[in-house]
Amino acid sequence: MHPRLEAEHLFKVFGRRPDAAVERLREGADREELRADGTTAAVIDASLRVEAGEIFVVMGLSGSGKSTLLRMLNGLLEPTAGRVRFDGQDLTALSDRALRELRSQRISMVFQHFALFPHRSVRDNAAYGLEVQGVPRAERARRADEALALCGLAGWEKSWPDELSGGMQQRVGLARALATDADLLLMDESFSALDPLIRRDMQDQLLELQKTLKKTIVFITHDLNEAMRLGDRIAVMRDGRVVQTGTAEDILLRPENDYVASFIQDVDRSRVLTAGALMDTSVTGDAPLCDCETATPRTPFTELCAISARLSHRVSVVDEANRVVGVVPRQRLVGFLGDETAGPVPCDNPEGKVIGRA
Amino acid sequence: MPRIHLGDWVDSGVDWLVDHLSWLFDAIKAVMEGMYDGIDSVLAAPEPLLMAGILAVAAWWLRGLLAGVLAFAGFALVDSLALWDQAMSTLALVLVATVLALVIAIPLGIWAARSQTVSAVVRPVLDLLQTMPSMVLLIPAMLFFGLGTAPGVVATLIFALAPGVRMTELGIRQVDAELVEAAEAFGTTPRNVLWRVQLPLALPTIMAGVNQVIMLGLSMVVIAGMVGTGGLGGAVNQAIGQVDIGYGFEAGVGIVVLAIYLDRVTGALGTRLSPLGRRAAAQSRTRAWSYRPRPAVALAGAVVLALVAAGLGVFGPSAGTSEASGTDVGKGKEIRIGYIPWDEGIASTFLWKEILQERGFKVTTSQYAAGPLYTGLATGQLDFETDSWLPTTHAEYWAKYGEQLDDLGKWYGPTSLELTVPSYVKDVNSLEDLKDHASEFHGKIIGIEPSAGMMGLLKDKVLKEYGLDGTYEVVDGSTPAMLAELKRAYGRKQPVVVTLWSPHWAYSDYGLKKLKDPRGAWGKGDGVHTLARKGFAADNPQVGRWLKDFSMTEEQLTGLEAQIQKSGKGGEQDAVRTWLRQHPGLVDKWAPVAKDDARSRAAG
Repeated sequence: MHPRLEAEHLFKVFGRRPDAAVERLREGADREELRADGTTAAVIDASLRVEAGEIFVVMGLSGSGKSTLLRMLNGLLEPTAGRVRFDGQDLTALSDRALRELRSQRISMVFQHFALFPHRSVRDNAAYGLEVQGVPRAERARRADEALALCGLAGWEKSWPDELSGGMQQRVGLARALATDADLLLMDESFSALDPLIRRDMQDQLLELQKTLKKTIVFITHDLNEAMRLGDRIAVMRDGRVVQTGTAEDILLRPENDYVASFIQDVDRSRVLTAGALMDTSVTGDAPLCDCETATPRTPFTELCAISARLSHRVSVVDEANRVVGVVPRQRLVGFLGDETAGPVPCDNPEGKVIGRA
Repeated sequence: MPRIHLGDWVDSGVDWLVDHLSWLFDAIKAVMEGMYDGIDSVLAAPEPLLMAGILAVAAWWLRGLLAGVLAFAGFALVDSLALWDQAMSTLALVLVATVLALVIAIPLGIWAARSQTVSAVVRPVLDLLQTMPSMVLLIPAMLFFGLGTAPGVVATLIFALAPGVRMTELGIRQVDAELVEAAEAFGTTPRNVLWRVQLPLALPTIMAGVNQVIMLGLSMVVIAGMVGTGGLGGAVNQAIGQVDIGYGFEAGVGIVVLAIYLDRVTGALGTRLSPLGRRAAAQSRTRAWSYRPRPAVALAGAVVLALVAAGLGVFGPSAGTSEASGTDVGKGKEIRIGYIPWDEGIASTFLWKEILQERGFKVTTSQYAAGPLYTGLATGQLDFETDSWLPTTHAEYWAKYGEQLDDLGKWYGPTSLELTVPSYVKDVNSLEDLKDHASEFHGKIIGIEPSAGMMGLLKDKVLKEYGLDGTYEVVDGSTPAMLAELKRAYGRKQPVVVTLWSPHWAYSDYGLKKLKDPRGAWGKGDGVHTLARKGFAADNPQVGRWLKDFSMTEEQLTGLEAQIQKSGKGGEQDAVRTWLRQHPGLVDKWAPVAKDDARSRAAG
């Protein structure tokens, strides 16, 4: 079984003699050396596997090559070397016409600055992909309206893009992408231009939609919190290379190198971590020992803290069958919050009382 | 520095093109003249006020009621200035040039927007076309296309091309790259990216370019008047040639009316065409007085007016040619006379027009600058002209074109060239007196076109002869500038010395004094010659003989000129008729129809 989308050893080099540059990169030359020659290596040896129905987040700072990578996934940019397979089909081998066909039918895209056509109404914007496909006008309008309704824009069909707020504009962008019924959705920093509250709304709405639509989504962001919230799996890019791929917790708890580690420093762990990642798995059992409140592996950190505060002992984490799969002692919660993995040190005043000055 | 013979290369390049691609130029010329004639006949067919009404409805539809009213008022003014036909012909010329310019400019602009290489090549070429002085373009255009509408259209469109290309390129390049990418991401073909995204969004900028094209075209049309395109440009040129400030102003006003109308209407058309502009217009329209007819209503209005116009045109008076009462020698044969708007040229040209019409010829006259006139004659586009000053003043032209021309002899003369001062300048009576009065004249002699034969003579010979070489500077300029300077100085009673020649109307308008030339440095003076294209006299032996035998006395010429001056612009032919009535017998004297001649024709 193929993954839905697979990228193998992708390179993208801008500038003169790109093939020679790829050769040098393979031999271990780094980006800076090439830049001195006037060529820019945007993506270096990137490989990804995106499974059907997952949200795959590519995260990196600006200039890390994530947008270039995304544009190779739908053939807007041709890779200098490497292969992109979509449902087993090699995109790099397709003709321009076949590639356009594929983009119009099966891959759609949502842009950072919305990229709505200012000379088309909201409905005509949402219907754009269908128009390219050659769908008759009436059906196109019906399907566009459905997509708009799905994105919460019912009643706005006849408005114009510049009459809508940023968040609403991006909903139009999302509706345009959904209207074509494409299997693969590429989202390029789609929520970055929105203010934080709207961004959160949009993230929630995307997750909500994804529950029913089960699209395959590749989502680009420079915001780690967003990556953690949305991503089933996350690839971290730096200087054109993919430095780590894994789940949010993999990356948070087991950063592959110092770069990733420094990156995740500022992440609000309490939002990302769940009981499953925190629990001490050395303690298991067929059932909790008491009738006290328990947590599941999916319980978020904040809720876990709340439970812990209400109990006099450690929190048991149970699965669907009510088997204990691990426990979370209060010490561990505090330790994770403070980024401290070591245990407590003994105290020379066991009473732990503060001695005030007389 | 080695001399690069760029001019020679261009010369031989132009010659080669004229020799080898004349079929192409002829085809282009036919297309342009066809378009021009079509548009001009549509514009000129209706009664002027009806046409003004149609144009006003268009303005009303595009901009609103006030614009419509002003448009009507403007065109009514043009009509009342008796410049309607000229204005319509100029409008037709501008429209043809604009359409052709856009047909070239927009695709070129699109191409340049898509390819950096094309853009890099096109840009300097546009710079060249746009900044090259327009007369420089006009002369080769004339060699390629002959006289008349075609070179005017070509020169205009070349001059006006640049903003069309630039604004199209700019407009397309300005379209947000993310929008283009979005279109591509949904699988749009490059052609549809252009049609669905780039062109609609670039439209306001492109329309601004169209507007610029029209405005530049209009400004070029005046210059194109020098090659005989007629219209308002011709009127302006005529006014300049005669320093007729009033007539120049009237023609200028005509151009301004056209310019403002075209500017506002195309500006509004931009908003009408672009989807974004339409929306903005729809939002802002709230008041009753800004009501505009819907396109259908406007169209219907224009059609009704046009139908009325067509109906009137059919039943209206048709332009009749005066039937000659005398012997019909010409049998409707066409003769084309060209003239330079100088007084003796106008007088003799319209005199011959009248005489030849009486003899049954169909005569067209058109007005040119001297250079184009000679070119037209040499290339056989004109049959003859009556105003060549030989051997001195027009020596340059004769040297260049003499071989392709027939000299039908002198009909007036001798003329004289001279330096002239106003008669209130007391102590200066002869060229010899000039030397001592240099400071009075600020050491300046006001000259005319540096290319004129007279100027060469003055600088090379006359100044040396009288030892004025170091003390006086000859100011190069143009005839109108010289006359304006004379008029200005004369008005203020300031001393001035100008180059002038006789006959000239200035001598009757101002009190002037010809400086004596005791050493004969100016030579013997020119005769005014009639020149014909090679073979004209052979094709029309009788007319050839008439022209060879033709001569006028000073009294006759000045009398005719005065009559023409009195009847004003457009009344030349009437003035000639009046003058001929006062001098009966002259037609038969100048164009005798011998009895035996008529008999031999009948026999042959």
